[in-house]
Amino acid sequence: MKRFDLDKWIAPDNKTYPIVKKAMILYIAVAFIGFAFFAYVSHVYIDEGTAAMYSALKTLFVVFCVLAVPAVAMIAFIIATDVKRKRAYYSQFNRSKLNKHVHVFDVINTILMALFCILCVYPIIYVLAGSFNQGADYTIGGVYFLPRLFTFENFKVVLENTAMWRSYLITIGRTVIGVVTALLFTATVAYAMSRPNLKCKKAFYWVNIFTMFFSGGLVPSFLIINALGLFDSFLVYIIPGLYSVYNMIVIQSGFKSISNEIHDSAMIDGAGEFRIFWQIYMPLNKPVLATVVLWLAVGHWNSYFDTMIYTKSDNLQSLQYFLLKAIQTSTMTEGMPPELMERISPKTISYAAIIISIIPVLMFFPLIRKNFASGIMIGSLKG
Amino acid sequence: MQQAIQAEKKKFRRWTSNDWVLFGMAFLSVIFLAVFSYATLYGLVLAFKGGDGYLDIMRAINEAPWVGLDNFKAFVTDPDFKEIMFNTLGLNVLQLLINFPCPIIFAVLTAELLSNRFKKTVQTVTFFPHFISWAVFGGIFISLLDFDTGIFNTLFYKMGLVREKVDILGDPQYFWGIIIITSLIKGMGWGSIIYVAAIAAIPQELYEAAKIDGANRWHKIRYITVPSIAPTITLFFILSISGILNNGIEHLWVFQNTNNLERSEVLDTYIYKYGFPHWRYSYATAIGLMKSVVSLILLLIGNTTCKKVSGKGIY
Repeated sequence: MKRFDLDKWIAPDNKTYPIVKKAMILYIAVAFIGFAFFAYVSHVYIDEGTAAMYSALKTLFVVFCVLAVPAVAMIAFIIATDVKRKRAYYSQFNRSKLNKHVHVFDVINTILMALFCILCVYPIIYVLAGSFNQGADYTIGGVYFLPRLFTFENFKVVLENTAMWRSYLITIGRTVIGVVTALLFTATVAYAMSRPNLKCKKAFYWVNIFTMFFSGGLVPSFLIINALGLFDSFLVYIIPGLYSVYNMIVIQSGFKSISNEIHDSAMIDGAGEFRIFWQIYMPLNKPVLATVVLWLAVGHWNSYFDTMIYTKSDNLQSLQYFLLKAIQTSTMTEGMPPELMERISPKTISYAAIIISIIPVLMFFPLIRKNFASGIMIGSLKG
Repeated sequence: MQQAIQAEKKKFRRWTSNDWVLFGMAFLSVIFLAVFSYATLYGLVLAFKGGDGYLDIMRAINEAPWVGLDNFKAFVTDPDFKEIMFNTLGLNVLQLLINFPCPIIFAVLTAELLSNRFKKTVQTVTFFPHFISWAVFGGIFISLLDFDTGIFNTLFYKMGLVREKVDILGDPQYFWGIIIITSLIKGMGWGSIIYVAAIAAIPQELYEAAKIDGANRWHKIRYITVPSIAPTITLFFILSISGILNNGIEHLWVFQNTNNLERSEVLDTYIYKYGFPHWRYSYATAIGLMKSVVSLILLLIGNTTCKKVSGKGIY
């Protein structure tokens, strides 16, 4: 049997350690957040309506108590290993990492940045606290960071709301279909515009550029939508967004950065323009395309004004429009029994709806962060 | 010889099948724009017709009588005209003065952060609000500023930061402040990425050389960073000048209510309100047309000025 080699494990060039460390940190985070959450939740007053939930919370609290014990051991292990690794790493150079001078400016700068970060995140924390709070209690005010009287009732009401799920589906549908079709359409045009041998290139260029700087306005667009029969149909979310000149220019600048020799050699091998576009240029232009996908997806996911203008039926509402109405009016609590209104209120319900609506964004956010940086560079600087 | 040239020219003129494919691909854009951009220009005739009050917009454009410039006159002589223009321009000039330079300063400051990990964290966190819609983000701020339960009127009031409870959302004098601050929080991180990318593209040797020459941090920012990102700044400045009559309607609509109309009514919201809930199609079209023309003129002026000053424009 091979013995566990500690020296090898703590060596700075050990590749498996960082992965193990990440997994451990994840476990620790889950265990402690769960521990803190249920420790907090199972000690606040909960009314009779949620007594069953109360016992379930207590068991969960015990489970997380047990889970927290190995987490403590893991922290000790990580700290000890990191210290050893660092010592081994710096012994190579025989100097300290801390030879940077820190000025007052750096301190102020760091504090400012941290404050701004808090400002960006705090609204979400505020909503999260509100969404877990009891409705009648919330209206007194004073719920800033943590819910005071805890309840799941708000989420229960929201999850049972069919109108919310319908608008959710509409928004997901329009985002997926809208992004895919718009990307294909815009990239096709952008490829043609990026080729130096395109006929009548100047004319195409000016036809496109003019529309960037002059538009008919709101009512004439509405007129066109009406004349095409798109008013109050799902396609109104997709078709007008198929193409945008700005995105075309960005994608085109990405295509232009691909060397022309690739095109020529593919041509000699007998590939047609369409095949070159689809099988060579599209895969080579992935970073820029990813950036444009991000813009398109965010635009689709967040827009609500097109729902206001171009649709009138309830089953075409986009999620954001639904949320806006839930926030401004109390549509979601209409016809609720009065004894339920103890635990929920229009405000707390709209908070729960907000939290549910931003879950997809939170899920995709780390992916976005990783992928878009390179695309932005190519797309914006050359465009 | 002559014949050879002729043959060459003919060969040049002939379209291969690949040319046709390319032409077809580019022509897709013409079809799209013909329908969704150029056809809307035909809709502008509504501005010169008396199409107000028709329930069906198609009938309005086909059957309404010509009225010349009456719709334009009606808007200019409207008692609300001055207020709307004041709000539109005032809000936009404020945005140009505050929300335009802030992302640049923010990008420069993040570039000065010592720890790379903290820099990345700051960027990630500040991008986040951009991915939330105005409906949600605005809705959250509405409850943060609420008269009864909002953080301003409860926590700050208790702490003594605010002397008396204020109805921030209902008072017209606070409206511009709300708009500026919310768009800063939501847009500053995202708006800075372009400048961050531009700063990242500056070669590090410049800074090292400057350090040897004895430059301090301020010198480096003033003489290296800012001049290097100046072209990017110019480009976005021109684009924001041309948008001076555009207020983000999705943004304003969330915060607008009947109490703060005095300061919150801008061209965009006015056009929407008159166009749709009131069925005054011609009137709204006329205002929209005026807006488009002024924006185009502003863009041209901005572009020529920038060309003269810095030698660079956008086209």
